[in-house]
Amino acid sequence: MTIATITTDINIGPFKIPANGQNMITNNYAQRNNLVVELAIPEPLKSNTLATVQWLHKERKLSKIIMCSIHQLPVKNNELEELIKNMENVEFHFALEGISGKGKAYLIETAKEAKIFMKSQSIESSRTTWIDLHKTMQNS
Amino acid sequence: MDIYKELTQGQGYAVIEIEDMILLNELKKSFIKNINISNNLKNDMDFARKKIAKMSKSEVNQCMIDLSKFNNLSETIINSCPKLVESLCGKELFIQRRATIVMNVPGEGQAKQWPHYELMSGISPFSFIIWTPLHDLEENSGVYYFDQKQSLEIMKKEQKIGIVNGPLVLDMMSERKPEKLNFGQAVVFNPFVLHGNIAFDSEFARIACTARFQSSDKPLLQKNSDYLKFYKLN
Repeated sequence: MTIATITTDINIGPFKIPANGQNMITNNYAQRNNLVVELAIPEPLKSNTLATVQWLHKERKLSKIIMCSIHQLPVKNNELEELIKNMENVEFHFALEGISGKGKAYLIETAKEAKIFMKSQSIESSRTTWIDLHKTMQNS
Repeated sequence: MDIYKELTQGQGYAVIEIEDMILLNELKKSFIKNINISNNLKNDMDFARKKIAKMSKSEVNQCMIDLSKFNNLSETIINSCPKLVESLCGKELFIQRRATIVMNVPGEGQAKQWPHYELMSGISPFSFIIWTPLHDLEENSGVYYFDQKQSLEIMKKEQKIGIVNGPLVLDMMSERKPEKLNFGQAVVFNPFVLHGNIAFDSEFARIACTARFQSSDKPLLQKNSDYLKFYKLN
């Protein structure tokens, strides 16, 4: 049974985290939670199906995987279903959110939360000022 | 003026009464249990506060790390004031994923919190912050606030020179008188209100908890799922 860290595309939902940054985050999470990582799995850029992880799971029997964020879960329902079908018994850890769990219900709920965040509007902080933000709050 | 207007158009902060004292008392009990420094004979808040007051900075820090296991703190704080939260943000919320318990040790040279705006951390301008002590506060051990008008004037001056939390703000550290709150009271404020705390003299540490929340219909700023979680009020 193997514990693995996963790196994905630099664009992770609302975040932009280079692969070495992702490695730092997931390894620090592992250390803080006394998890011994044996495998680092790089997923290809522009793909969030986690196909490499699923393929490796068949051979290495992963017990836990550590990712940076819930936003690395597949977005499309059929891709999420495929992941659940293949990895229902694997414990998923999301370092930035500091949460973990396993099973169909957990993965569905977690992916749902990621979608709620992705549907939210975001203010582009580089294009605004403190005073403008204050006005936005007062005018709402 | 209603509370929403007071927080957005008025002075930017307000002292409120906690609605569900049973929950706040449970929270206090959980804190004493989680901190694991009381004994069976004196399993009370003052005993814990006295012990914490004598801890080194690193011991306090370790205690605060241990308290991060307190994973339902945010929900408990929000649920202790459900009517207030709903009136400000509705029922569907983004709440702080891990609310914090802050322990302040008395004495000069101990942690002081310089004046700052909550917005500096990247929470949304539509967020509100609730801060409540887990015991009656002693003189000067609370948090001081600059009202919204003063905070905005300072913000404008700083913006003109391209600075946030510069010397102008940092030099204001000891000018203010902290709010004196009792257990069961809280301060709610918007993220543009300057606030901080000063060193205080006591044999007891100050223990308080704080949570940030916003409507999930309102835009986020820099904080996302790393800091917030979706939560539906009952």
